[in-house]
Amino acid sequence: MTSSPSETETTVHPLQEFADAVAGAVGGEAKIAFDTVKVRVAPEQWVSTLTTARDELGLVFFSFLSAVDWSAEVEVGDPPGDEVEERFELLAAVGDLGAGRRVIFTTDLAKDSPVIPSVVDVFPGANWHEREAHEMFGIEFVGHPNLANLYLPDSFMGNPLRKSYPLLSREVKPWPGNVDVEPMPGGDEETTEGPSEENPEA
Amino acid sequence: MVLDQDLVRHLSESSVSVELETEDMTLNIGPQHPSTHGVLRLVARVDGERAFDVQPVIGYMHRGYEKLAEVRSYPQITTLVNRIDWVSGYANEVPFIVAAEKLLEIEVPERAQYIRLILTEMARISSHLVFMASYPLELGAPTPLFFALRERERVLDLLEGVTGGRFHPNFNRIGGVKPAYGSGSSTRKVIQDLPAGFLAETRDAMDKVTVAVDEINSLVAGNEIILARTKGVGVLPPEVAASYGVSGPNLRASGVGFDLRKVEDYLPYHLFDFEVPVGENGDCWDRWHVRLLEIRQSVRIIQQAIDGIPSGPLQAKVPKVIKVPKGETYVRAENPKGEMGYYLVSNGAQGPYRLKIRSASFSNISILPWILEGVLIPDIIAIMGSLDFVLGDVDR
Repeated sequence: MTSSPSETETTVHPLQEFADAVAGAVGGEAKIAFDTVKVRVAPEQWVSTLTTARDELGLVFFSFLSAVDWSAEVEVGDPPGDEVEERFELLAAVGDLGAGRRVIFTTDLAKDSPVIPSVVDVFPGANWHEREAHEMFGIEFVGHPNLANLYLPDSFMGNPLRKSYPLLSREVKPWPGNVDVEPMPGGDEETTEGPSEENPEA
Repeated sequence: MVLDQDLVRHLSESSVSVELETEDMTLNIGPQHPSTHGVLRLVARVDGERAFDVQPVIGYMHRGYEKLAEVRSYPQITTLVNRIDWVSGYANEVPFIVAAEKLLEIEVPERAQYIRLILTEMARISSHLVFMASYPLELGAPTPLFFALRERERVLDLLEGVTGGRFHPNFNRIGGVKPAYGSGSSTRKVIQDLPAGFLAETRDAMDKVTVAVDEINSLVAGNEIILARTKGVGVLPPEVAASYGVSGPNLRASGVGFDLRKVEDYLPYHLFDFEVPVGENGDCWDRWHVRLLEIRQSVRIIQQAIDGIPSGPLQAKVPKVIKVPKGETYVRAENPKGEMGYYLVSNGAQGPYRLKIRSASFSNISILPWILEGVLIPDIIAIMGSLDFVLGDVDR
């Protein structure tokens, strides 16, 4: 059920061959972690990568397109820690309709000018996903037929899923559930144990 | 006066060959319309009896869960995610919890996995029964509603008996399912498992659901009006469905036998014997029929799971304060509406750094502009209803 990164170092991950084949076909760099294959490509290859995935690799099912805002300074939540490469990581998940193989293609976009060609012509389903990524992250999709707001009102200012965008309700009043859980005797090592005796007639 | 014969001939010809020019009209459906399952608005250009350039307007129910998830801890997020598709709330929790467990590398006890599986399938049955109730109603046949909702209540009562909630169970915990009253002090630990008699009652309920599904089928399948309104209407070819990300029963109705329960390992479905029903034509009728067949398969899975459920703990050992290690994973599940997935990015804190929620209905209704192009106005309702979406699952 789980596959740890340490396993992948010693034994070959069952998805390794598939990941290498995909990375080779699109000219990207594959990474497998927690049963998820990610292939990173350059932004210039974005459209050609998804076209190759659809036409040559049989990855015809469009699952989703979204982004992650990697940012050292955050207005909400916890910062990512360590040294983080400031960027938008654009994600596009596609899969096949047979063995259940799936890949998340990623590419890095610069923080100050996140611009990328639209893939609506490759996967028409990307239309709404790109509109969402546009309003939520401020990513510009060149060639998109209608890059209007999807969820947010037209007059909305800002890009809410950027890490620099504060959660306004949290600014007004601190979240009451944010109180630190009192450490148990023995600290974080304390474990809970579920019931172990069986219930004969459940 | 001598008439110009050429002119006369020309005038008469033009009067018979002229096309009737109708004025285009913009038709606004919703956002408050009973057939939209929530608050969806459609703006269509109507030419005569046909609709063109249909544009869905969504976002009336946007609750910003992806942003909220960034400031909440993992146990708090399960209360958010079961409000995404509230018709099958339980099923939304499972892939999220499995994603967190994957990063934590926790092995969930078998009994907990079986309980998750039984309740997920019950959520599927209750979701499909809502469809069995609402779809004929939208086509003008109110009778099946009474059969379907009666059975759905039977299933929801059992779900409520286990979890405490009909719609928002919030029953999953990282490492298993909701434990005893006390996971606290060991002296006060009360052993809590499934309610007494649950398995026997579920078996009984499944028999009744099977009978009711046959009843609903006999009410609908022989109804010529329903057949006329659904057969050959809203045909969705499999390639188009895939390129829009249409998943679940809507995809299978188009003849693609793809079911995530057969290829993913979020729950131990490989231990059970069940079929994946597919349609032939990808029309409204097939989308109805595939869901009907899926209820029967879910009944089969539940019956096998009841026979084979092992005893044992409900919870793996987990720390009191759960911090999920750094990592990224995507876990997807076959929900009643289709592919429900969570792309979880953790930075080692008590809550996610980023949680992308891939909900099925969002992609399923993004097909609307394509599938509604040029259809008759009454067919808009027939096609929309057959896609079986919930606006909470669209807007998140």
